[in-house]
Amino acid sequence: MNFEINWGIVWPILALQAVLAVTALISLARTATEAVRGPKWMWVLVIIAGNLAGSIAYFVGGRRDA
Amino acid sequence: MRLFWVFFHKEVIEAARSYKWIWVPAVFLLLGVMQPVMMYYLPDILRASGELPPEAAALITTPPPEEIIASTLSQFSTIGLLVLVLSAMNIVAGERTSGTTEMILSRSSSVLTMMTAKWAATMSLLLLSFALGYAGAVYYTYQLIGPLEWGTLAGAGAVYAVWLAWIVTLLLPLGAVFRGPAAAFLSLGIAAALTLLASLLPSQLPWSPGRLSAIATAMLTGESSPTFAPALAAVLLIILSTVAASVLLRRRPLSAQA
Repeated sequence: MNFEINWGIVWPILALQAVLAVTALISLARTATEAVRGPKWMWVLVIIAGNLAGSIAYFVGGRRDA
Repeated sequence: MRLFWVFFHKEVIEAARSYKWIWVPAVFLLLGVMQPVMMYYLPDILRASGELPPEAAALITTPPPEEIIASTLSQFSTIGLLVLVLSAMNIVAGERTSGTTEMILSRSSSVLTMMTAKWAATMSLLLLSFALGYAGAVYYTYQLIGPLEWGTLAGAGAVYAVWLAWIVTLLLPLGAVFRGPAAAFLSLGIAAALTLLASLLPSQLPWSPGRLSAIATAMLTGESSPTFAPALAAVLLIILSTVAASVLLRRRPLSAQA
């Protein structure tokens, strides 16, 4: 099986995922607990474990309308 | 005009505060970059999984570059559009609940200005996100799979951007009447209905703005279809939506929401 992953191609994707997740986590940290829907620790898990979908879910549905 | 920039500035700052300027473009860029990479590795992945007999695996090859861009556009039509609509759904509807603009709106002449500024701010985010995602897809496709024609790419991109624009603009009048999630659901529903209808009855509805996404895809694969009528219809729809939104918002008192 000569199946080699070219990391030059893949790292920008991983970097973007990381940017998105870190932005989500910073936003979560700076939002007041009452303004977050559901417990904060749950969103931390969702953002970290859910990759792209997790971060999107947080940004779309994680905060109550200010 | 000064008032317009004041409102525009406020919208941009509000979007920045909720990190929209980072996460929406990032999602588009990811979608755009992931598609060509996935298509590039698809034959390898299938072969490595070992489930497929080698004869069948040999049949699966990487599609031509134009098709990859077309499939990226279809990613944008699902996840991308959903993200845009959900991120923008409270742009008018949220104003009614927060009621902060009530004071400004006591001068009723400024409603249209405010609506135009909201529209412009939303479109800036949309165009930035789409341009980034599209550029990412084109760059990766170019590097991994093969050359593309710039003229076709620019044309298809422009047509596709108009398609995204009119759907997101629908949020303005809908948001003036309904709550955010309902407005988002309705605008996606209308978009889906019009797009489906346009693909079912292409000859009866040559001017339908719902055709624009199909036109963009067709442009990439080399077919040409009349673009002018649906694009004009979309632009008219955008103008109409913005004006209708300010009329609706003026009629309904801002804070009268349960």
